[in-house]
Amino acid sequence: METAAIQTRGLTRRFGALTAVEDVTLSVAPGQFFGFLGPNGAGKSTTIKMLTGLLEPTAGTVEILGQPFGAGALDLKRQIGVVPEGMALMGRLTATEYLHFVGRMYGLDRQTTNLRTQELLDFMQLANESRKLVTDFSHGMQKKLALAAAVIHGPKVLFLDEPFEGVDAIAAGMLKNMLTGMINRGATIFLTTHVLEIVERLCSHVAIISKGRLVANGSLEELRAGVASTLPGAEQEQRLTLEEIFLSIVGAGEVQESAQELTWLT
Amino acid sequence: MADLGGAGLSEAGGAAAMHAGGTLGPLARAQYGALARLRWRMFSNGMRSNKGMLELGARTFSYLVYAMIGLGLGAGSGITTYFLVAGGHWNFLPVLFWVLAFLWQVIPVMLASFQEQFDLGILLRFPVRFGSYVLLYLVFGLLDISTVLGGLCCVGIWFGFAAARPGLLLWTTLALGMFAAFNILMVRAIFVWIDRWLAQRRTREILGAIFMVAVLSLQLLNPALYQTRHSGKNSPRQQVEQFNAAKTRYTPWLKKANGVQKWLPPGLAALALGEAIENQPLKGLGSLGVMGLYALVAGGVLATRLKAEYRGENLGSAPAREKAILNRAKAVASFPGAASAGRDAGWAPGGKLSGSGAIAAVMEKDVRSLMRTLPLLYAIGAPLVLVLVFSGIFIRNGGAQASMFPLALPVCMVYAQLGFTQVFYNNLGTEGAGIQVYFLSPTPFRTVLLAKNLLHSMLFAAVALLAGVLTTLRLGVADNAVIAATAAWLLFSLPCNLAAGDLFSLKMPYRVNPGRLARQRGSQANALLSLLVQLCILVVGAAVFSLAWFLDRMWLAAPIFLVLAVGAVFAWRRVLDRVDAIAYGRRDDLMQTLMKQS
Repeated sequence: METAAIQTRGLTRRFGALTAVEDVTLSVAPGQFFGFLGPNGAGKSTTIKMLTGLLEPTAGTVEILGQPFGAGALDLKRQIGVVPEGMALMGRLTATEYLHFVGRMYGLDRQTTNLRTQELLDFMQLANESRKLVTDFSHGMQKKLALAAAVIHGPKVLFLDEPFEGVDAIAAGMLKNMLTGMINRGATIFLTTHVLEIVERLCSHVAIISKGRLVANGSLEELRAGVASTLPGAEQEQRLTLEEIFLSIVGAGEVQESAQELTWLT
Repeated sequence: MADLGGAGLSEAGGAAAMHAGGTLGPLARAQYGALARLRWRMFSNGMRSNKGMLELGARTFSYLVYAMIGLGLGAGSGITTYFLVAGGHWNFLPVLFWVLAFLWQVIPVMLASFQEQFDLGILLRFPVRFGSYVLLYLVFGLLDISTVLGGLCCVGIWFGFAAARPGLLLWTTLALGMFAAFNILMVRAIFVWIDRWLAQRRTREILGAIFMVAVLSLQLLNPALYQTRHSGKNSPRQQVEQFNAAKTRYTPWLKKANGVQKWLPPGLAALALGEAIENQPLKGLGSLGVMGLYALVAGGVLATRLKAEYRGENLGSAPAREKAILNRAKAVASFPGAASAGRDAGWAPGGKLSGSGAIAAVMEKDVRSLMRTLPLLYAIGAPLVLVLVFSGIFIRNGGAQASMFPLALPVCMVYAQLGFTQVFYNNLGTEGAGIQVYFLSPTPFRTVLLAKNLLHSMLFAAVALLAGVLTTLRLGVADNAVIAATAAWLLFSLPCNLAAGDLFSLKMPYRVNPGRLARQRGSQANALLSLLVQLCILVVGAAVFSLAWFLDRMWLAAPIFLVLAVGAVFAWRRVLDRVDAIAYGRRDDLMQTLMKQS
C-alpha cells in the first residue's frame, strides 16, 4: 500500500471550552492536489496549523510522508512548504533579502539560494520590486512573495492557506500553472481557499469541514455522486458544480434563510 | 439605535438625526461611549489570563512609581515656585518652565517603547468626525506619562504661586493652563510627525543615520570641550576665580539667550506670570496671546497630519517614496543587467558571514532589521548620551582626573548596558508575522536564539568598547584592577542578561512596530521585570566591588566575577537547551502576540 503524503488520525484541537477541530481523520495520497474547504470559522486554518507544526493538537496524530510530524521533526520540515494564514513575512526586509533568509533557514547554500531567489522573483513578477520593503508591498504582492518563500527549498508537500486571496487574475493564472507543474512533478498540495472555481479546476480530491468536523471527503466525482443521490430523480442527472455541492453539504438552508432576513437593507 | 426588524425611512431619518451635531453631537457622544466601553472590555478581558493579571500588576506598580515621581516633581516645582516668587526672584522662573517643557517633550520619546498606546487609526473605518478624531487623539494623549507628570508639575507650580501671591490665582490658572495646552499639543504633534517620517523608508534611514551621527558627535565633541577645563584640583579661591571668569564669559551669551527665550512658550509663560506680579496686566495679556498663538500653531501642525490620516493616507505609500521607487525602477530599466547586479551588491556585504547557514542568516536578517528599526537604534544609542552626562558629573565632582570617582568606568558601562534592555529582553519583538518562519523551517529555535544572542553580544561589545574608550578619553585611564574587574563583570552580566532575556522574550514578548517611535504596544510586565533582573545583576556587581573596595584589594573583584561568569554561562546554556521546548509549548501565544496588528 502506498504511503500517504499526509495522514491524520483523530486530529482534535480545543481552545478551552471551544472545540475548533474534532476528530479529523483524512489521508492525502502523494501527487494529489487536495482541496480543503469549509465555511468561515469551520476549522480550516486550525487544521492547517496543526498539519504544519504551528499548533499542537489536543489529540490525534499527524503523519507527513509516512513519518510522525511534530514540532521537533526538523528533517520532515525540509520536505514541506507552507503559506500560512499570516503569510510569515518580515516587513523590514526587501523581497530579495527575505527569500535569501528563508532559503538559508531551510538549509540551502548561498549560491542555490541566490539563483532560486532570482528565478522566483522573475517568475512572480516581483523582480522590479525586489528592493522595496515587504511592508510596502500590496496584499497581492505579499501573497506572491509568501508563495515564493514556501517553494524556494523545493518541498514535496505544500500547504497553502488562502493563497489566491487578493491576487489578481493574471497572477492567479500564473500561480495555478506553477502549482499544476509541481503536481506533475510529483509534489502534493494541500489547499484551502474560498474560491471554489479554483478548487474545481485544480483539485482532484476535496474534503469539507464544518463546525470542526469533517463532513465530506473524496474525489470530486464521489462528492458529486453523493450529493446527487440525495436529490429528486430529475435533478440527479444534472452535473453539479462544486459550489452547489458545497452549499448542499454545509449551508444551503442557511443561505436561503438568511436571504429572508435584513429586509431593511436597500 | 435602529433595530434590525423593520427599519424604514423613519429610521433612516433617525440615523440622520444621530449624525447631526458636531464633535459633541449625539453620534459623537455615542462613539465616545462605545470607545470607553471598548477600552474597558479590552482591559477586563485582558485580565482573563495569567499574563493579563501580570500585566495589570506591573502596570499598577509602574503607575504607583510614576505617581510618586510626579508628586515629588510637583511638590518640588511648587516649593521652588513659592520661594522664587515670595523671595522676589521671579526672573528665574523661566528656568523652571524650560526644564518642565524639556521634560514634557523628551520623556515620551524615552518611554515610547514601554508605554502601551492605543492606535486610533482603527477608528477611521467608522463614521467618526474629524473633530472627534482629534479630540480622542488628544484625550488619549492626556494619559501619557509625560502629560501626567507635566500636569502634576503645573499643579505644583500653581499651588506655589497661589501660596506666594493669592491675589493672582485666576491669572496663574490661565497662564499655566495655556502652557499645559501648548505642551500637550506640541508633544502630540512631534510624535505624529515622527511617525509620518518613519513611515518612509528613505526618511527613516536618514533619521537613523542622523541620530547615530549625533550620538557619536556628542561623544566625540564633549571630551574636547571639557577635558582642558578640568586639568587639576582647584582651591576654593581658584574656584571662585573660575566662576567669575565663566560669568564674565557667559553673561553676554546668557543675555542674548534670555532675549530669545522670552519669545518662546516656556519663557512666555514665565514672563506672563512675572508681568502679573509687576502689575502689568496688559503686557501679561500680550505674552499670553503670543503663547496662545504658539499653541494654535502646534495644534495646526498636529491637525494637518491628523487630517491626512483621517483622509485615509496610507503611510506605506507616501508620495516621496513612490517617486523614489519609480525613479529607481526607471534607472534599472534603462541599464540592462543593473537590476540583478544591484540586488546582489545590496546583499553582498552581509554575505561575508560564514559558519552555520541558519545562524548567519538570522544574524544578517537581524542586522538589516535593526538598521531599519529606529526605536531599537534609539534604545541602544541613548544610553551613550547618558554615559556622556554621567562622566560629566564625575568630572565636576572629582575635579581632577587623579581624584575622580575610581569606579566611574563600571558605572558608565552599566548605563551602556541599560540601552540593550529591549534588545535582550524582547529579542523576537520585531519579527511580526515572520515568527512563523522559525516554526516552519527545519531550524531549531535554539539556533535562532543563539544567533540573536551572538549578534546582540557583538553589538553590545562594540557599544561597551565605544563607551569605555570615550569614558577613558574623558576621565582618564582607570586603574588596571578596575578595568579588569569591569571586563569580568561584563562577562558575568552579559550571559545573565542573555539567559533572562531569552526566557522573557519567549514568555512575555510584545510586538515592536519598527516604523513607529510612538503608539507602540509595550509590555509593562516585561519592562518592569527586566529592570528587576538587571537590578539584581547590578546588586551582585556592586556587592563584589564593595567587598573588594572594603578589603582594599580591588584585584579580587575580577576573579570573583569570572567565577560568577562561569555560572552565568552555564545558566545561559541551560536556558538555550530549553528554548525549543518553551517556544513550541507557547507557539500559539507567541504568534498571536507578535502578529497582532494594533
